[in-house]
Amino acid sequence: MFRFKSIISRIVILHVFAVAITSVFMSLALSWLLSYATNNIHNEAMQEQAITVGEHLTADSDGQLRLDLPRDLLGLYSQAYGRYSYAVVDQGGRVLFSSLKNQAALFPSDTRTHNVEFLEQRLGDATVSGASVKKTVGNEAVWIQTGEDLTNRDVLIDDIVADFYRNVGWITLPILLVLLIADIAIFRRALRPLRQASEIASDIGPTRTDVRLPTREIPREVQPLVSAMNLALDRLEEGFRIQRDFTADAAHELRTPLSILRTRLDLLEDRKIGQALQKDVEGMAHIISQLLDIAELDSFVVNPLEKTDLRSVTVEIAEFVAPLALAQGKNVALLGTTEPVWVTGNSEMLGRAIRNLSENAINHTAPGTTIEFVVDKNGSVSVLDHGPGVTEEERNLIFQRFWRRDRNMPGSTGLGLSIVQRIAELHSAAITVENRKPTGACFSLRFTPLALT
Amino acid sequence: MGTPHMRLLMVEDNAELATLLATGLQTAGYEVDVLSTVEEATSVLLTTFYAALILDLGLPDGDGLSLLRQLRHHNNPIPVLVLTARGGLHDRVHGLRSGADDYLVKPFALEELIARIEAQLRRPGHLLSSSLRIANLEFDTRNRQASIDDQPQVLSARETDVLELLMRSKGRVVSKKQVEDHIFGHSGEVASNAIEVYVHRLRKQLAERGAKVQVHTIRGIGYLIAEES
Repeated sequence: MFRFKSIISRIVILHVFAVAITSVFMSLALSWLLSYATNNIHNEAMQEQAITVGEHLTADSDGQLRLDLPRDLLGLYSQAYGRYSYAVVDQGGRVLFSSLKNQAALFPSDTRTHNVEFLEQRLGDATVSGASVKKTVGNEAVWIQTGEDLTNRDVLIDDIVADFYRNVGWITLPILLVLLIADIAIFRRALRPLRQASEIASDIGPTRTDVRLPTREIPREVQPLVSAMNLALDRLEEGFRIQRDFTADAAHELRTPLSILRTRLDLLEDRKIGQALQKDVEGMAHIISQLLDIAELDSFVVNPLEKTDLRSVTVEIAEFVAPLALAQGKNVALLGTTEPVWVTGNSEMLGRAIRNLSENAINHTAPGTTIEFVVDKNGSVSVLDHGPGVTEEERNLIFQRFWRRDRNMPGSTGLGLSIVQRIAELHSAAITVENRKPTGACFSLRFTPLALT
Repeated sequence: MGTPHMRLLMVEDNAELATLLATGLQTAGYEVDVLSTVEEATSVLLTTFYAALILDLGLPDGDGLSLLRQLRHHNNPIPVLVLTARGGLHDRVHGLRSGADDYLVKPFALEELIARIEAQLRRPGHLLSSSLRIANLEFDTRNRQASIDDQPQVLSARETDVLELLMRSKGRVVSKKQVEDHIFGHSGEVASNAIEVYVHRLRKQLAERGAKVQVHTIRGIGYLIAEES
């Protein structure tokens, strides 16, 4: 079965059908009304003619009826004109007077009839339509019949009927079309709150589960849907919260046993075994920290009024990772501007993004090389390494959670860059990856710089 | 290493972890009392003097932070090192605002815990005769004497200044600005390459005298002293 894609198209199509059917019925109804009206006019005219004829009907003193029509009426009923005719019939059905050549009645006489009757009768090849009016003249009841030959009907009325479609009937279609266009506009307007609600709904995601659709402007008919949607969102938000809390709680719970393990290893007599196992514990602790970071990011909202000096955050992170880099025979350097670079954002989050980028760089840069932090006054920070770089195919993969190029690479959890991307998203920051010549990668984060004041 | 008979209080509800940490701290020369509730800690701290408090945040009868706030409210200046399984953004901000002196997220190295406690006890008002050591290089902060393989070394005043600052910040980067402030004070006019010259000289002296340490330059930031790799 055919399905409509939108309410508007459904309304338009159904409306077109309704307009087509209405225009047919309206034309039929109009033409019926018109012929009904012309019939009425005709009947009234005939009745009036009969009454006028009756006024000229008089009774003699001996009771004999006489008909003295004035000259103009005689002309009207003359055979030559042939359009109108009259007859007077008495109670016995005898024709007293008639304008017809054969002195016949126009209609079969029926003495039981009421005072006024409208009749139609075929006379030869003509159809006569008219009225029969009862009148008492002297002490005798007579029926005055007047008729019009329909084949010679009033030209004016005929023209009106004939020209009706050509001159008037067509107007119904454009009027209905205008109505259709007006209706479409009305429906579009009526659906606007729904469109607005849809736009709001499109913002809802795992980080914006607090958004609810407005119910105030929504038409009453759609309210149940919107309310049900909002209730569903409540349940979803609760579900997300439970999941986030679970991730965070699970990670926290793991930290104490890991602490016990770590301390036990530190107290081991055999330092060699202890050191190797400590590295494993550190790896696990790193994953837990990153899981917590992710859980926290999933519910984090950036305060648009919060501002951060990108350079001082970068300095802090460079200082933090320098000992880790040196321990691996690598070094770090800070280049770029030496002035503060104010951007909109949360300093802790920006720090985490830069830290994860630098940990990634330290993991990949070749031994003996230096990773470089470059802060630009346009609000961007770049981390450059001397590693193998990122191939075109890998550029989207690297930001996926738990993706790793080399699963045996120590220190890599596959979470770091996904955290960077999430933080960038939250700050509406652009993240770019480029390869360096001859080798290496350059990750850049570009934040919104605050206007210099 | 800590001075003998330095008494520390540890409030940690996980008995196993508390025992292990206490063992480690005792090996490092501290005396450690272990408690597991806020209530016990509150009453004990009223009557007993401790050099420092090691405080776990998640305790069975309340938040460790409330104990901390209470201490600071009563103007108790005891150095407090907070241990926590939480390491989130808000926890960190809360912890430091409530008056913690330092902060360690579980799991941590025992060595790190000891280092942080020592750092706290070396604060002004807690000055201890303590020597700092990296590999075969030792620096005595009391008489500002450097020695290599236990042989006292004679260094220039500027070189000693730089070495002291680096040794005090062992494992951390010292910014060039910090070195300038340390040597010349905040007001002094500094020649642009003066610090580089002193660090270069110190590096040369240490290498010539067989110290197994390296003074790394972190370009754009500062310097870091570490064991030779």
